[in-house]
Amino acid sequence: MSFIKDTLCDLSNLDAVKSVDEASRYAYQKLCEYCECKKSKNNLSFSGVMKGESDYTLMLDAHIDQVSFTVTNVDDEGFLTVANCGGIDLRTLPSKTVIIHGKEKVVGVFISTPVHLLKCEPEFENIQDLKIDTCLGKKAKEIISLGDVVTFNQDFKELIGNRVTGKSLDDRAGVTALIEVARRLYGKKLPINVVFSIVDAEELGMRGAIPATFDIAPDEAIAVDVTFATAPDVSENEGGYLSKGVMIGVSPVLDSCVTDKLNTIAFDNRIPFQNEVMGGRTGTDSDVISVSGMGVKTGLLSIPLRNMHTDCEVVDIADIESVCDLLEQYILSGGAK
Amino acid sequence: MIKLLENLCKIDATSGDEKGVRDFIINEIKDYCEYKTDNLGNLICFKKGKNTPNRKIMLDAHTDEVGLIIKSITKDGFLKFECVGGIDTSVLVARRVLINESVYGVIGSKPVHLSSEDERKKLPKKDNLYIDIGALSREEAENYVSIGDRAVMCSNFTVNGDKIISKALDDRIGCAVLIDIIKTYDNYDFYAVFSTREEIGAMGAKTATFSINPDSAVILEGTTASDLSGVPDDKRVTVVGGGVAVSFMDRGAVYDKKYYNEAINSGLKCQTKTAVSGGNNSQVIQISRGGVRTVALSVPCRYIHSSNSVADINDIRSSKELAVYMMDFMAKETDD
Repeated sequence: MSFIKDTLCDLSNLDAVKSVDEASRYAYQKLCEYCECKKSKNNLSFSGVMKGESDYTLMLDAHIDQVSFTVTNVDDEGFLTVANCGGIDLRTLPSKTVIIHGKEKVVGVFISTPVHLLKCEPEFENIQDLKIDTCLGKKAKEIISLGDVVTFNQDFKELIGNRVTGKSLDDRAGVTALIEVARRLYGKKLPINVVFSIVDAEELGMRGAIPATFDIAPDEAIAVDVTFATAPDVSENEGGYLSKGVMIGVSPVLDSCVTDKLNTIAFDNRIPFQNEVMGGRTGTDSDVISVSGMGVKTGLLSIPLRNMHTDCEVVDIADIESVCDLLEQYILSGGAK
Repeated sequence: MIKLLENLCKIDATSGDEKGVRDFIINEIKDYCEYKTDNLGNLICFKKGKNTPNRKIMLDAHTDEVGLIIKSITKDGFLKFECVGGIDTSVLVARRVLINESVYGVIGSKPVHLSSEDERKKLPKKDNLYIDIGALSREEAENYVSIGDRAVMCSNFTVNGDKIISKALDDRIGCAVLIDIIKTYDNYDFYAVFSTREEIGAMGAKTATFSINPDSAVILEGTTASDLSGVPDDKRVTVVGGGVAVSFMDRGAVYDKKYYNEAINSGLKCQTKTAVSGGNNSQVIQISRGGVRTVALSVPCRYIHSSNSVADINDIRSSKELAVYMMDFMAKETDD
């Protein structure tokens, strides 16, 4: 496998939510190989700095957290009630296994209501109806506490071609891209400072990027996240094409100089790219980065992804590669300075 | 027996495509009994015991599991499929599947962000579901899969205390118990059938029973358990960990009253299946030729027919104990 695929595989298999910091520690160690890194004091965020030949600082952002659940009740029969952290389609859950991060890791199963108990078609209104079976019975209360993190139980697998599937590719694909860019830039003379900002809590309303950006106070920033890829139930109007390259964001909340230069660099270097046009908010960290401090010129690069916020997400490694190609050329050309 | 069950569950074998399980079982039992395979792929075994029973005894477990069959490939490279056996749409959305035990795919689902509130409440129509193997065109997909190929939903066999979480527990549990009985039981002669195509209408058991022409049969199965949090006792059907379940009636058969009573009063750990629901190979075994007296011993499984059913190791053990008890009983029975 390639460096990108290997890194994405490892990151996808690990978890990073609240007190569970496996993926964050892994990414930190990877980035430390290429630049000096600093951990945040109170969450999973961290950053790495590469010094350049000017005072101008470009911040690259990707989020390390993932959609997950948190335990809100443990009953006497060993069934859990949970709340979702991040948007999750309840229809994707019945009979799916999860990992409960209690005193020890426990594999549980989202219940699937037997047909004879249904009055009519199943309805998916409230996640409280969809309990998790810990298979532990009374013992569950000894191992699992309120507030414990619950994550999908899914490993990374290759599909055909360059496509891969797993959980948390949103936004480990972006984190992988940043690590790869650091690897490529390592030892090179840079015209500007580059700060790699890996942040927590995007899925809870971009709460990690806010303090991280304030701390770094960059002149310019580019967020790298995922976006919807077309599929039989996702139209061309709602998403970009899988495998047709990085999507360069175009939106009133983004800086048009950054967007234009990203488009130009991609075009000139024959890097496959698409444009993702939004009428306003992008739903990514770039929304909060752009209004940090006295304001930051912000761009957005997105990787097309299918089945977002499930454990069956799909991305194309080549699309991540095109993000790296674009960012590498963009940085070497001095960003939007 | 747990390792044996794990190996059995890991094989993908949807109805009519069961050679993998059959070959595995042959390798397990070949030194313990005579065996042959018939036209429907049934594995029919005969084990000579120390004694000749008064009645010809047959044990049955089915080798197939529920899964998917590829129907067509769209021009964009997505696979349309149909279910083989009864699978509820609620356990299909956003699942990983494995096609031909070699190509991974996922059943897609519209991102929650793009779905309306109404859409999020109702299951999508089964016809609208598709498998994505990462192909960008029909031509690319055709290099890896063909129409008629089989797929199953992926799962990792997990042991969690006394509980097992896996796909295909229905009826690899029966297969594992039956293999174990072949290896260890030698009181009386008996026939064992590892039957095919149960999930699409008990086809294999129909012809195998005709061939064997038994007097009495024990059906080893998995059945529904809905002993979930908040479900009242009378709706639980069976309870995981409560012992093997004995049926008096289901949607396919009314069981032999004498056998039912004998099993329930055996003193071995067991429970009554408290709902008239589902069905198993008994529906065809019981009415084969001039009729066969049957007893069904079912291991309770939560979330049966999904990729992650839950069963209890102790119920599997009690299934074997009660099966052996019933074999001895049938062998000694005299006509009344």
